[in-house]
Amino acid sequence: MNNQPTVFVVDDDQAMRNSLKWLIESVGMRVETYGSADEFVSNYYPGRAGCLLLDVRMPGMSGLELQEQFNHRQIRIPIIIITGHGDVPMAVRSMKAGAVDFIEKPFNDELLLESIRNALAQDTEHRSYQAEQAEITARLGQLTPREHEVMEMVTDGKANKEIAQALGVSAKTVEAHRARVMEKMEADSLADLVKMVMAASRR
Amino acid sequence: MPMPLLAALVGLLCGLSVWLVLDLFQSQALREIFSRELQTRLDQQARETLIRFDNYTEAHVSTARLLANHRSLSNYLEPLYWSERDSTPAMLHYQAPAWLPPATLWRPLARPSHILLIDTWGRPREIHRVSLDALPQELYGGSEQYQFDSRERATLTVLGGRPYLLVSERVEDATGTLMGSLMLVAPVDAAFLRASQQGVAGDGVVVGLLDADEQRFLASSEPEKVARGERMETAHRDYLITSQAFYEYEGAALNLQFATLVPHAAVRAVQASVVDVGRHQLLVSAVTFITVFTLVFSLLSARLNRIMSRISFFSRKALGSEQPMVEGGNQLLALEDWVKQFIRLVRKTREEMRLKYEFEVQESETLKRAIMETSLDSIITIDQDGRIVEINTTAEKVFGYLRHEAIGREFAGLLLDEESAARFPALWAGLRQGRAPADLRTEMTALGVGGKPFPAELAIKPLALHGRSMLTVYLRDITERKRAEQEILCLAKFPAESPSPVLRVNRSGVIIYANASSARLLEYWGCEEGQTLPPYWREQVGHVLGSGKVWEVDVAWGESIFSLLFTPVVDLDYVNIYGRDISAVRHAENQAREHQQELVHVCRLSTMGEMATGLAHELNQPLSAIANYANGCARRLQMDNRDMRDIISALEQINVQADRAGLIIKRLRSLVGKQQPVRTKADINQVVREVCSFVEFEARKLNVVIEQELTLSEMYVRIDVVQIEQVLLNLIRNALDALRDVPEEERDLIVRSGCSDEGRSVAVQVIDTGPGIPAEAMDRLFEPFFTTKSSGMGMGLIISKTIMEDHNGRITVGRWHHGGTTFTMTLPLHEPIRIGLDED
Repeated sequence: MNNQPTVFVVDDDQAMRNSLKWLIESVGMRVETYGSADEFVSNYYPGRAGCLLLDVRMPGMSGLELQEQFNHRQIRIPIIIITGHGDVPMAVRSMKAGAVDFIEKPFNDELLLESIRNALAQDTEHRSYQAEQAEITARLGQLTPREHEVMEMVTDGKANKEIAQALGVSAKTVEAHRARVMEKMEADSLADLVKMVMAASRR
Repeated sequence: MPMPLLAALVGLLCGLSVWLVLDLFQSQALREIFSRELQTRLDQQARETLIRFDNYTEAHVSTARLLANHRSLSNYLEPLYWSERDSTPAMLHYQAPAWLPPATLWRPLARPSHILLIDTWGRPREIHRVSLDALPQELYGGSEQYQFDSRERATLTVLGGRPYLLVSERVEDATGTLMGSLMLVAPVDAAFLRASQQGVAGDGVVVGLLDADEQRFLASSEPEKVARGERMETAHRDYLITSQAFYEYEGAALNLQFATLVPHAAVRAVQASVVDVGRHQLLVSAVTFITVFTLVFSLLSARLNRIMSRISFFSRKALGSEQPMVEGGNQLLALEDWVKQFIRLVRKTREEMRLKYEFEVQESETLKRAIMETSLDSIITIDQDGRIVEINTTAEKVFGYLRHEAIGREFAGLLLDEESAARFPALWAGLRQGRAPADLRTEMTALGVGGKPFPAELAIKPLALHGRSMLTVYLRDITERKRAEQEILCLAKFPAESPSPVLRVNRSGVIIYANASSARLLEYWGCEEGQTLPPYWREQVGHVLGSGKVWEVDVAWGESIFSLLFTPVVDLDYVNIYGRDISAVRHAENQAREHQQELVHVCRLSTMGEMATGLAHELNQPLSAIANYANGCARRLQMDNRDMRDIISALEQINVQADRAGLIIKRLRSLVGKQQPVRTKADINQVVREVCSFVEFEARKLNVVIEQELTLSEMYVRIDVVQIEQVLLNLIRNALDALRDVPEEERDLIVRSGCSDEGRSVAVQVIDTGPGIPAEAMDRLFEPFFTTKSSGMGMGLIISKTIMEDHNGRITVGRWHHGGTTFTMTLPLHEPIRIGLDED
């Protein structure tokens, strides 16, 4: 699996693209460059790890439009906005639309690289969080309806006896269910289980 | 003799005779009825007493059955055996024996003197004596006569000269073996007979048992009245006797009968009382008859008297005849004469009155005819078959028929068109059934001379003549009226068809009329036709009516703008409102203005602001690229794995980008400075006016009026009009921006033109009353990128300066003596003006 993150550079100015590629590759990162937002959209698929360096002012689809499209499609690649002189209002709008950072031309290389590193870290974190959530969802899927019921009551802080009374079964049965829930959810402790349930419900 | 008294006397006599006759026949009839009734009553009573006797003996039979079948008896009998040869006398019990149930069970039902147990051979084995009477000797003996007989259970017999009732019932022991029978012995004595009647037969009625052969009584219920052994003849003296044979209790050879005795005294008493009641009723009816007769008669006579007095009063008053004096003699005969005379008089008077009436009728007929003939309406009378009976001369003229031609023809068919003729019968029927109003008016189409149809109004009035219902039809030609109505209707359509709102409002603000196009306007006012306008508009309606002058106003509602014209109609006290939807016009106006503003703005941006921004952006690209390449190189060089070819290519890139930046600068310069100048001859004042109109909208927003102090004569210069306009525009906008910082009332902006340089140049001054430019800024105003505004580029003035220098002119700045700033742009005149004209 290709796990190394990629920095995607989208800028209509070729010199800009190439120079950015040159600069970023100098610290050993993978870079892919695209001349327009449309080109990028048709080549990118959501599973790819990395971050996006986006020029706000471009012919065709603008950076902002691309951002809106991604938001709409719930694609969560971190976006760094590059702006020229006088595009500050646009940059502000981008930030509001969820960009992680914006950098003014001409760049301070340290700041740019730092920003890219942050964005990549954020992406990694997000990906692992997503994976974790998917895992929890999968585990939840293994539970029987009754086990699910028991789990919800357990995480609500109810004692076994209460649960037994509420469901009209013996405390021993509840204990059995509970043990199976812990096993299926691969939870080490009750706190662990609660955390998982909360993580799953956050989605 | 007075009438009432006579009437009473006659009534009395009649009543008496009625009573006498009735009494004679009625008493006879009553007696017969009574004796018949008595006979049936006696028979009935006899039957009833016998039935009661039968019931009582039946009670004895039931008792015997009860005792014979009682368990105590069968239990008692079980160990016993009665042998035929055994001839021991019967056992006699004085106390209740063990084989009997408790006395309370059976004593109320029967009164036997003895109860016997008899074996199958007819010998009594045990005897229980219930009362103190002795048992007849015959029963001790066990003669064959009393042997058990399944058919005969109850027997009446005479033993020792006394009648007895014997009831036997078969007896079995507990094992079901037949042991014999149980016999109840009851003497039929006075007590028995009384008990059998249960005290029901009253009124001294006596029952008895009769030996029919000897005609003697064997027993009776009242021995002291009818003793035992008394003969029937003896008893007949005091009693009515009904005797009946027994069928149920066939004794041996005895002819026994049951007798019912009713005392003669009781019968006679009843008979007497019946006759009395009859008499009493007769009396009552006679008295009633007399009273009613007298009353009716006297009432009638009183009534007659009153009528007589009325007639006489009337004849005296109306006919002048005197009431005949009745002086003795036959009152009724006198009355008859008088009545004859009276009738004669009445006849005569009636004749006179008829003559008078006929004269009057003739007179009124003549009058009516005159009216009919002269009437402007056609008047046609129709009979109930719808045929014309009479028409007047107007009708003759209108319809073109002579009277004799029209009479007898059918009205509807002759004078109305088809459609109206079809409607007419319904109208007629409605009138006849009283459904339509008595005085009906309707409009129809009539056929005039030559069958020419014309609209007509018909007033139809039913009348009854000689018991026949008729109609008078008044018919008027309403062609003229119809035409007028039509015209008014057409006129009224004008506002309705108008595409613009037309409304009419009365003094209190109520909308009397609103045409269909007023919907939007009504929506704006939030009311409908028939409702009242909002208060403000009510007030305005009042004003308009008060002043009598028209009032025009614009109203904006959503997208629509209406121009409303309020026209008072003072005489009729209402206001007509004519609306005009001017939305489109206003919209177009606004759009044009906005468009112009936008153009101006775009113009400015594209020249100055955009140029600056573009420049910055353009330069940014190569500069950023250079920086990136340089940084990338530096980083690579710091690392060991350097590839010189890469570095060299990057350095080449840097070179390329640096060239690119240089090109941009060059292009810019050629754009601004080295263009081939375009020059046209133009009046500077015209340019000023043009530019002022561009910014008029903006200025008005700031509540600033641009004062134009321009020379009267044209001042021609050779210029690139667009560029000079831009410079001027820039200056005016700067001035407007400056004015934002001072209160509205202190805002003044003057654009002034004049000669300078001794008539060789024209100077245009833009003067504002803004806060002024600080001294330290004054010197730097024309440096690139210098600005005092937060949003400015700092390019406007330097570009302006470049443009002016291109035109061999100049631009200067100064402080105005009232505070604020003066910018002066000077341009050489195309044709210098003579110095003499210059004021300076």
